[in-house]
Amino acid sequence: MSKHVQNTDTSVLERRLRPIYDWLDIGNNKKALQECDKVLKKTPNCHCAKALKALTLLRMGREHDTNVILDNLTKEKPVEEATLQAMALCYREMQQLDKICKLYEIAVKLNPSNEELHTHLFMSYVRISDFKAQQLTAMALYKQKPKNPYYCWNVMSIVLQATRGEGANDPIKRSLLLNLAERMMQKLIDDNKMDAEQEVQLYIIVLDLQQKYDRILDVLNGCLSQKLQCSNIPNMKLSFLKKLGKWQQVNILCKSILNECFDKWDIWKDYVNSVFELSDMGVNGDSTGDQESDVDTYDNTAEKCHEFICGIIESGAENSFLLRGPYLARFELCSKLQEKNIKTEDILGDKIELFIEYFRKFGHKPCCVFDLRIYLKLLDAEQKSELATKLIKEVGIGSTSVPQSAEQMQRHIGALQLSRLCGGHRNLSTEHLRALVTALTLHYQHGYQSYGKDLPSTDIGPSDNYAILAAHILYDLSRKEDGENSLIAALALLESLLKNSPSNFHAKLLALKFYHILGCGKEANSTYYSLDIKHLQLDSLGYIHCGRLATTGLYSLCAIHFDSTLKFFSSNFKDSTDHLTFSYKFGSFMKLDEFMDFREKMNNSLHYTTVVVDKIMMSLIECSTLDGLYNTDISFKENKIEWEKLRDNRDLRVYVSWEPEFSENLIEDSDEIKKLFQQDLNFLKLRTHMLWSINAGLQVLKSVDGTRKKNIENMKNILKDWKDLEDEIRKTDISPISEELVSYPLRSRLHSFLDVPYRSIVSSLLHFFESLTTEDIETTEQKCKLAGEELETLGQMLEETLSGNCSYFREKRKGVELAVNAVEVVCIACVVCIMSNELVKPTSQTKKSKKKQPMESKLKEFVNIINEIRCQIIKIALVVEKWCGEVNEKDLINMLESLNLGSDSPILFKNICMSYASTNKEIQGLLSNKLKMLEDRLKSVCVP
Amino acid sequence: MTTLRPFTCDDMYRFNNVNLDPLTETYGLSFYMQYLAHWPEYFQVAESASGEIMGYIMGKAEGIAENWHGHVTALTVSPDYRRLGLAATLMNFLEEVSEKKRAYFVDLFVRVSNNVAIKMYSNLGYIVYRTILEYYSGDPDEDAYDMRKALSRDVTRKSVVPLSHPVRIEEVD
Repeated sequence: MSKHVQNTDTSVLERRLRPIYDWLDIGNNKKALQECDKVLKKTPNCHCAKALKALTLLRMGREHDTNVILDNLTKEKPVEEATLQAMALCYREMQQLDKICKLYEIAVKLNPSNEELHTHLFMSYVRISDFKAQQLTAMALYKQKPKNPYYCWNVMSIVLQATRGEGANDPIKRSLLLNLAERMMQKLIDDNKMDAEQEVQLYIIVLDLQQKYDRILDVLNGCLSQKLQCSNIPNMKLSFLKKLGKWQQVNILCKSILNECFDKWDIWKDYVNSVFELSDMGVNGDSTGDQESDVDTYDNTAEKCHEFICGIIESGAENSFLLRGPYLARFELCSKLQEKNIKTEDILGDKIELFIEYFRKFGHKPCCVFDLRIYLKLLDAEQKSELATKLIKEVGIGSTSVPQSAEQMQRHIGALQLSRLCGGHRNLSTEHLRALVTALTLHYQHGYQSYGKDLPSTDIGPSDNYAILAAHILYDLSRKEDGENSLIAALALLESLLKNSPSNFHAKLLALKFYHILGCGKEANSTYYSLDIKHLQLDSLGYIHCGRLATTGLYSLCAIHFDSTLKFFSSNFKDSTDHLTFSYKFGSFMKLDEFMDFREKMNNSLHYTTVVVDKIMMSLIECSTLDGLYNTDISFKENKIEWEKLRDNRDLRVYVSWEPEFSENLIEDSDEIKKLFQQDLNFLKLRTHMLWSINAGLQVLKSVDGTRKKNIENMKNILKDWKDLEDEIRKTDISPISEELVSYPLRSRLHSFLDVPYRSIVSSLLHFFESLTTEDIETTEQKCKLAGEELETLGQMLEETLSGNCSYFREKRKGVELAVNAVEVVCIACVVCIMSNELVKPTSQTKKSKKKQPMESKLKEFVNIINEIRCQIIKIALVVEKWCGEVNEKDLINMLESLNLGSDSPILFKNICMSYASTNKEIQGLLSNKLKMLEDRLKSVCVP
Repeated sequence: MTTLRPFTCDDMYRFNNVNLDPLTETYGLSFYMQYLAHWPEYFQVAESASGEIMGYIMGKAEGIAENWHGHVTALTVSPDYRRLGLAATLMNFLEEVSEKKRAYFVDLFVRVSNNVAIKMYSNLGYIVYRTILEYYSGDPDEDAYDMRKALSRDVTRKSVVPLSHPVRIEEVD
């Protein structure tokens, strides 16, 4: 065939294939399939049409058909770009990334000079992190087309083998590989071929990993640095000088940067730190007489440091623009002095005065509080309380006056926030706190009327922070009185704030949390929607709502939120390998490590895994037929979860707070949060074991004779693992995390899980189920009795707990969580019933008349179990119904009126009650379905 | 007072305090990753002394010949850190990078209704180069201003001669 003919063919074919792409693009798979078949009718051997058909079928959910086409196509060794791409897309969708490698391996072999195919092969290895294969491919590619990027791909692949591949646990291998990478980069320099910025960056990466910082500095000071067009060279130098401990140079470099621009905070910190490193080293400042200019001398004493800071402040004073850097640098100096037990007063004067002075200068900016909070550690308790008093006085607003300007109002808010950070709200009496709330509410309203009315709806109101602070104090009050009226008052306040400032996300986050504390999933949901949370926020902020929903009994909402969360994770799991390829494509090797870490962090999200399990549990809860059960994929990562890799990806700092505990320390580093993570992890482990045990039961049901025995063994092992795990967990600290501080998230779901007899019921039922596979009637009777007894404890437990103090809102959440768990247990009991039913089907055994006797006895026991479950369901339904109706309204109206929030409170109160009602409705609906299912089963087995 | 540093992937786990603001869009992951991989030097975050994210800027360089320019894709500052000149610092950074890349100008798109932003960009030396019709989809669609500032390479300041007629999205290159 001449080339000309081939070309014509290609263009004709392209024209024919075009409509398929178009239909696929707009998601009309049916039309795409028709078009595929049309092309294949004319040209039955068209590879691309076959590949596109495979893709179309995949999108229609026919994965099996796709695989058949792909397998056949692979045998025909396709080489055209479009065909390969369509096939790769299929494999990508199905997460069979290794097959993409195979595909391009064959194509490259047939077409060894094709640069494009080589590139695709390289990227396919990147997707599966096969660094060695990457390296070989990049090398072959470079031989084919000697371009620098390919050379660098080769080097980077070697680096990754050293850091993440075989060198990760083998220091000798690591150093050999890095040495090779370095020599390769050196060769590029020697041959005078190093050209792009990315290449120099890669060279620096290689040197950095070998801790050859001196050599990096040579690069940064030499002619190669000219290629670092867009890098911040002074900053880079600084970081390596620090690593080398060259404090004199650090000091001098910092000073020169700060003289240019004195608002760079990282540089200020490095500067102050270097001063103390130098003074520790005992380098004498006077011996530097040989230094020429002022800038080139270094500072090695606190006095000189202070002098430098003051010099900058003076030169800055000439500018009208006030910059906070040098002022805050004094606090950094103070903090260093204090760390070394050196008296600070001689140099910096009175510490409290330092704060006051800063506040005077910058108190009208909201950031002032953020700046000062990290240095409150410089003061002892007494000084803190003195500071708090002085600040309030400084602002000049007493109990009878209001701010005269927006600026004064911000100062007032700042002073109040700092006062809280100083512990000023601790140890106040309930009356005092109430009075404070009233005052803050009035200030909020006054501020809104005076300065907040004409702002765009997208702005946060200038007086909003009064109300947020008041809501925090109301939370404190709710802890003190152990009542919940204050929480409802806080909600009323926040809701009224949100009417004025509909985009204040701080208020929304807080309201969301309070609704969840009260067990009002439905109200929480409306607030959540108004936050417009999406994409990665589904992970970082998943804990604020999605993670709580499973405890609310709002099953329809659960389904929506679980699905959107899982969709995000699964599509990004697929995309995340592409992100790695971007990095090679653009030569941003400096980002590669970061990309890989990020991918791991996201894929190992504890929240994600929890939602996966929650979603499977939901399917089980709703399941009412054996087919349904078979269609539910519950074999979730059987025994293959790497628990130790799971990560806490919560963004806890999204909640603003002014707790003294977290003025400087981060909440995520606190012991309580570490404990919470461990508890959440343990909860997930327990729940996953429950799932695995059900799955194991299902395997028993599916199997026959020989394999059945093995499966029974397996099920018993899992049940034992579950028991061992639970015993072990009960030995750890299983007390709930503190609820004292508003910044702590809600307690783990572990506690309520352990309060409900999940394991004893599920395990006794599975044992009963297993006994049905044998002819041993006695065992069956015995297991039936045991399971019946365990089931009985469920309703009792719920009744005892919920009929207690349930009228209090705060107890409502604990109550609903417990009830939802109890419902979950009976639903799983129903699942085991469905499974058991298969073993006692009357029809299947009727032919063998001699076995009729044991079958009848088994049936009898099965009926007993069903009746016991029915009995529990009815009991639970009654308890939940009663629980929902009990609400204590006393005192509430008075409280709201005292806050001037009386008018909206009936609506809020109604909404809260309605939220409980919807929980009740969903639970009742579910339970009545279960009852009906059980009754149908009874009828079917009791046919005379 | 600011620490300006390259934006990292992990910042996406921490930028909620900035992104929950209604005028700041949270994009799909691939969008950020694309920028981080392609133009890492243009993606910078401003961090406060207490380690909070105060704001960030996201940009790119594109175009051919005299249209080679820096583009501001997103610029956002947390409500707590406004009116401190932070946006100017971030814009200044992007302009400097664009200068180093020998770009002719820097441009950005802004909702015609976003008066605060338009005023700020004007103060920073940007002019409305043209109006792009129905650039922002929504109910109803909203027009965008394409605002520009010439860089030193554009000696004749050819890039900032405003167009007299509005253009459609299709005409924007």
